[in-house]
Amino acid sequence: MEGTDTGGNTYLIRPNYHHKFKAAVVKECIHDILREQLSGVQYDPDEVGVLSRSLADCIKDKLKDVGFDRYKLVVQVVIGEQRGEGVKMAARCFWDADTDSYAQDIFMNDSLFCVAAAFGSYFY
Amino acid sequence: RYCCSPATITVLHAFVFVSCQTAFVVDEVSTIIKESVEGAIGGNAYQHSRVNQWTTNVVEQSLSQLSKLGKPFKYIVTCVIMQKNGAGLQTASSCFWDNTTDGSCTVRWENKSMYCIVSVFGLAI
Repeated sequence: MEGTDTGGNTYLIRPNYHHKFKAAVVKECIHDILREQLSGVQYDPDEVGVLSRSLADCIKDKLKDVGFDRYKLVVQVVIGEQRGEGVKMAARCFWDADTDSYAQDIFMNDSLFCVAAAFGSYFY
Repeated sequence: RYCCSPATITVLHAFVFVSCQTAFVVDEVSTIIKESVEGAIGGNAYQHSRVNQWTTNVVEQSLSQLSKLGKPFKYIVTCVIMQKNGAGLQTASSCFWDNTTDGSCTVRWENKSMYCIVSVFGLAI
């Protein structure tokens, strides 16, 4: 077949170092958003549904802007009332440890606590 | 004039067959999670010293059962165990993925002394 063969395969199946899902950068983003949106907020059972949804969407949009293209993102936000109860949260992932990663951050004030976790999974 | 050759039709049928086999099936995942939670913490009362082990058991058991399904998915499983003392809890998630292939499932379980909320996210490869 005629035509220039402009060399080689350019489809990446592994992210190069600069485009990897960097946990530290993501944690920083989450931290800023939680601080900004939850400072001075009291736990209100009617509002908390809307608040947690908007936090999750906000974090996801911020991560998309940071530029993890080729990454699928999952952001989970848990908000609970502070009443001295015991809470434990755990996560496990079945993925490619080379390319995929996660970041999490916690915010607490007198009336609520909030855990936000962002998972990034490379799309081959 | 376009003409669909027999070879093309075979390929189309194969594609439909494969996508049915490899979709994220919420009911199947939900059943697996319920069994894992029952097995790990069913019949126990909340104990602060054991909750670490329980959350680990729930997620690990769920993940190993999910991986046994053999589907081309990456899984993320999270588990929250909370003591019942009248406080409120809300979880929300936001995902950037392919709606046709990826999915999630959340299971809420409770007994007299605690709540357990498990979320599974399945991302197709």
